[in-house]
Amino acid sequence: MIISASWLADYVQVPATTPQLVERLAMAGLNHESTTRVGDDEAMELEVTSNRPDCLGHIGVAREAAVLFGRPLSIPDPRPIEGGPNAADHVSLQIESPEICPFYSARVIRSVRVGPSPSWLVDRLRTVGVVSVNNVVDVTNYVMLESGQPLHAFDLAKLRGGRIVVRRATPGEPFVAINHKTYTLDERMCVIADGVGPVALAGVMGGADSEITGETVDVVIESAQFAPLPVRAAARSLVLASGSSYRFERGPDPAMVDWASRRAAAMILELAGGVLDRGAVTAGDLACSPAVIRLTPERVSEVLGVDVSDERQGNILRPLGFTLQSGPGHFWRAPTWRRDCVREIDLVEEIARIEGYEHVPENMTIAARPVELSPREIAIRQVGELLVGQGFCEAMTRSVVDIPLSDLASPWGDTAPLVISPPLVRGADRLRRSLLPSLFEARGGNVAVGVYDANLFEIARAYLVRATQAAADSGPVEEPLLATFVTGGDFFKAKGIADAILARLGGAAGDDGLTYRPLECDLFTRGRAAEILRETAGKPAYRVGVVGELSRATRERFGLNDAVAAAELRLDHLVDLVARERRLVRPAEFPAVDRDINLVVEEGVAWGDLEKAIRTAAGDLLDSCRVAQIWRDADRLGVDKKSLVVALRLRSTTGTLTGDDAARLIDVIVAECGRHCGATLRG
Amino acid sequence: MTNVAGTPLDSFRAELDRLQRDAAAALDDCNSAAALEEARVEFAGARSGRLKAAQKMLGGLDAADKPGGGRLFNEAKAAVTMLLETAQSRLAQGDDEVEPVDVTLPGEAVPLGHLHPVTLTIRRVQEIMGRLGFESVDGPEVEDQWHNFEALAISPEHPARDPLDNFYLSVARSADPLLLRSQTSTVQIRVMESRDPPLRIVSLGRVYRPDTADATHYPMFHQVEGLLVEPGTTMAHLKSVLRMFASCFLGGDVHVRFRPSFFPFTEPSVEVDMEWGGRWVEMGGAGMIDPAVLEAVGYDPDAVTGFAFGLGVERIAARRYGVDDIRDFYRNDVRFLRQF
Repeated sequence: MIISASWLADYVQVPATTPQLVERLAMAGLNHESTTRVGDDEAMELEVTSNRPDCLGHIGVAREAAVLFGRPLSIPDPRPIEGGPNAADHVSLQIESPEICPFYSARVIRSVRVGPSPSWLVDRLRTVGVVSVNNVVDVTNYVMLESGQPLHAFDLAKLRGGRIVVRRATPGEPFVAINHKTYTLDERMCVIADGVGPVALAGVMGGADSEITGETVDVVIESAQFAPLPVRAAARSLVLASGSSYRFERGPDPAMVDWASRRAAAMILELAGGVLDRGAVTAGDLACSPAVIRLTPERVSEVLGVDVSDERQGNILRPLGFTLQSGPGHFWRAPTWRRDCVREIDLVEEIARIEGYEHVPENMTIAARPVELSPREIAIRQVGELLVGQGFCEAMTRSVVDIPLSDLASPWGDTAPLVISPPLVRGADRLRRSLLPSLFEARGGNVAVGVYDANLFEIARAYLVRATQAAADSGPVEEPLLATFVTGGDFFKAKGIADAILARLGGAAGDDGLTYRPLECDLFTRGRAAEILRETAGKPAYRVGVVGELSRATRERFGLNDAVAAAELRLDHLVDLVARERRLVRPAEFPAVDRDINLVVEEGVAWGDLEKAIRTAAGDLLDSCRVAQIWRDADRLGVDKKSLVVALRLRSTTGTLTGDDAARLIDVIVAECGRHCGATLRG
Repeated sequence: MTNVAGTPLDSFRAELDRLQRDAAAALDDCNSAAALEEARVEFAGARSGRLKAAQKMLGGLDAADKPGGGRLFNEAKAAVTMLLETAQSRLAQGDDEVEPVDVTLPGEAVPLGHLHPVTLTIRRVQEIMGRLGFESVDGPEVEDQWHNFEALAISPEHPARDPLDNFYLSVARSADPLLLRSQTSTVQIRVMESRDPPLRIVSLGRVYRPDTADATHYPMFHQVEGLLVEPGTTMAHLKSVLRMFASCFLGGDVHVRFRPSFFPFTEPSVEVDMEWGGRWVEMGGAGMIDPAVLEAVGYDPDAVTGFAFGLGVERIAARRYGVDDIRDFYRNDVRFLRQF
């Protein structure tokens, strides 16, 4: 809202400079945007919050200033001379949709001389950024900017049938606005129609056909109440916001409906001459029911932490327009222009903002209260710290992606992605089901600017439609928390990092029912991808992660030339690992025996199975086992065979293992590997 | 490991294995320069060292085996050289006569990763608020009408619910359309619904509003919102907590300033300014939790009061790090990310 300093002075004399005034207004709720000099005047741009339509007019702002500086407020009381016939005898008025137009009034002025406005009016309008049109239109704008009540002026001769009908638009009904553009209306909107069709889009804009021109002789002044929703629907969907729609969306002061009509009539008579018909043609009932609110004086200090005396409370509320009702207790009637005030807390806020928040103390002590990070938060931090320690940078990619990105495979099921409207950014309207494509794209973006080693990670949610009805009871959308990274290198590079993450969280592949299994996924090279499965008591194994080398097609799609691998973990299904209790396992006291065994197996035998056999056979006596070497030699091992040199570390917790003990244990291990994996020992 | 097949390659391989084992044994044990020299001559001596001898065996291999044999020999030689160097450097410790190095040469590079500046900012807020007893909480980003609007006293007619001002999901649930949350206050509602006062929480995470992306707007951004519900809470507590936060976050004895404002879920509502770099900077919104919100979550507004405040993370991060275009936070250019 732009306020003219000279205009404001019509209603209140403030003993302050403009900077002092705007500062004081800002500290009471009218945020100061800027002050600009316009000719001899100053334009103060103030931000008016949506609960304060009363400040969308100079009088409302003057009232605030009057209260803040303790000065009287003087508002004119227009009493235009009604020298014409009864207005109601010549104009018929009908409201067909009272739910969107509770009250409508029209005044008629005959034989006006439409022409230029006087310079004082042109100047004031210019200060607040409004271009002068002619004396009649200028008056309607002026009075709106004065009172906050939008007005509209019609050419009476253009109202076909001398009728005014307020009704909903019919679907597809065309309307040509004052800007000479044609709009297609729908039934959510409200129109002012004459005997034939719409002459104005109610509360938004007048029509071209009935606008005031140099030929206009008789003028109809509309002053009405329109419900916020139809006005907003029209302004938004037709992209046709106006000063009028802005105010009706917020609700002008009902008491100003008639005041503004009289004020405009008086000014038109003065500036354009003419004769005013007697009375106003009205329809409907003015919706105006100010609340009566009980205020317990102590409530103020209970909320603010500042004592404001009973007397002071009254001295703040009265000039704001609140009236103390007679009788016991503190019951205040809100003024008509403050429909936002209906509850006790609203009065407390009024007292607070006028008294000033600078009085609120800032040195209270608050009691200590211990808090802890949640396991989820700990897991997020552990993963982030580990990856940062490994040289990864944290990325933040959009939760919403375009169709090509969304169409890439998700490790988390193939239910259709959720779609939003409007798109987040152009083309991106799919909630992502995996972070992997976004990180591939981010790495590709770095390659495009010549950075080839962008190892990135992100910890964020994906969005999945819940698969089953039972699950849908806990909400139709599942939001798995994913920890995803992309790195240069091969499958084992990514797997090593994934393993480290699992270990840092408190689990480890092999333990805790975490196993790797080959995975076929379009993102990854066939044979170079795995899923991580988790088995917990009483539940079938479920996927908690994937890891793989990007396929050539995936790399080409994202402009990645070198080998790239990635992994995605469902952190929300691993969080419990963090919460697990740690109990000391005393380091072994007895020496270990290291033995390498060379096992020959069929090519298809997986190390995971071999390891399982070794662990089963060795039991507690196995300290560790790892693959030291794998080699293939068709001549010496046979076709489709491979040799694994396994480094075993054997140790007992109860005594020193002898060479013989170790040899016997090796025999058992080899036998178990033979039984389960067809392994033979190579001497 | 007897040589059953008996090809020259097998015996060559066996000799190399033996040689390496013996060298490891000898060099691991040697504890004087003299012993080291003796071992060096035995294994790597130019004339009659065992490596030299093994090299001669190469000539006896089948032609087809020669490349493989050569590779094996080179590996063995490298292993022995490594063992010698290791032993040498072990013995050289404490020896003043080692070759000096150019200490201005770079050390072995260790890759340094970086957390995102938005995360760093959130963590800092969480840390400070944690010390003031506020627990970090998190909640869903896809929300329903109740948590995103109704419980926050945003009525169906409120412009904030306009489809054009929100990202509604187009799944058919017309009775209760879902949307991407427009504020993290949704999490506060969820926590209040499931827990009784006293309560101190900070909710944080991504929120979504249809703004055209420019230097100061992005349709996805992060919010941190604090909430405290305890009997007897006043705006003085709100101001004091924010001042403690500001002093910690910005350093020094920082003052905060309240300007009246309007939010549906707080009343009174204020904009919060903090002194930063010698002037008042708008940091976010705050207020006393509206009694209607307390009622919506089943609290008794006569028994408890509370306050809430919200900060826009990107705006703070941008100011803290001198980022003049918030879109940079989402470009994921590592030349940007590596600076934090």
